[in-house]
Amino acid sequence: MKLDELTKGVFKQNPIFYLVLGLCPVLAVSTRVDNALGMGLCVFFVLVGSNVIISIFKHRIPSQVRIPCFIVVIASFVTIVDLLMHGYAPELHERLGIYLPLIVVNCIILGRAEAFASKKSVFDSFLDGVGMGIGFMLAIVGIAICREALSTGKIAIFDCTIVPTFTQSPSVMMTLPPGAFLTIGIIMALINYKNIRKEGR
Amino acid sequence: MGEELKRIVGIAIPLIIICIISGAALTASYDLTKGRIEAVEQQRINESLSIIFPGASFTETGDYYIATVSGEEIGYAFIAGGRGYSGSIKTMVGMYKNGTISGVNIIRQSETPGLGTRIAEPDFTNQFSSKRIWDVRLRQDGGVIDAITGATISSRAITDIVRERAEVVINETR
Repeated sequence: MKLDELTKGVFKQNPIFYLVLGLCPVLAVSTRVDNALGMGLCVFFVLVGSNVIISIFKHRIPSQVRIPCFIVVIASFVTIVDLLMHGYAPELHERLGIYLPLIVVNCIILGRAEAFASKKSVFDSFLDGVGMGIGFMLAIVGIAICREALSTGKIAIFDCTIVPTFTQSPSVMMTLPPGAFLTIGIIMALINYKNIRKEGR
Repeated sequence: MGEELKRIVGIAIPLIIICIISGAALTASYDLTKGRIEAVEQQRINESLSIIFPGASFTETGDYYIATVSGEEIGYAFIAGGRGYSGSIKTMVGMYKNGTISGVNIIRQSETPGLGTRIAEPDFTNQFSSKRIWDVRLRQDGGVIDAITGATISSRAITDIVRERAEVVINETR
């Protein structure tokens, strides 16, 4: 089942809610929906790129130095994204700040390289990267929607208001790291509750 | 010994090749984006200058700009930088010759999103306009600037950065 390689990253093995990998940028960047979208796109690009490249060279990389090889490939992709964004999307580049170069050490990307791309075919690795990338994006944007709505009382993507102000007394806590932990925890609890109910039947 | 050397070289060569390819890819993308990034940074500075002194023209001297309107020097613009709550803050400051701030425009900051980042918003930066530089302190420190709720450290950092640099520039120009 080829399609399974794609969809497993989105639902069954979602990097945030199931694998619980790469939480650091999720905590930091999910304060606003547009930042989360930018971060999601960057991770998507790096994940697909590194998965494909590593899968192509998997037989030529000696197992003793595979981690340095993976990191060099990942870091190159991240730096390319960083340079491109600095030139063509300076505002977003500025807002993501240090979390853009930190994608290098995002565990999802190294995790997929080590656990999947270094063993499977190029096409499967591509699908895995796309699926995991979409899964990451959905998760971070979902968390950002909850946090932005609760912490600012509205949702605006690139200065264009999607949800108008609905409360005058938003919760400042939701913009701070505890807000991210609470949101992730509650969503994760709902997913687990649903899964347990499903198994019980 | 020969076997051992062969094994080590066999491990090292692929890593070296990957590093060389990556290096080439990075060089190419750096060259590709270099001009564009410089243009973006320069445009950022020009935008800041025209926000704090609308309609003025600027001449760069040393580490500040002299703003002139129809041939007459009206004030100075300069970049001030320092440490914020989480990382460095860089801001453009405009100051009239008598030591009054004309405007402040944040160029770069990496404060807490949603809290400290509000120091870059007009609601906060407009407070600096037409204040004497010696009064640029937070209200709780005996000044005239209201701190942002929940971001006192960021607010204090930016007021200190602006005041300290402004005092240096005004001493230089007198």
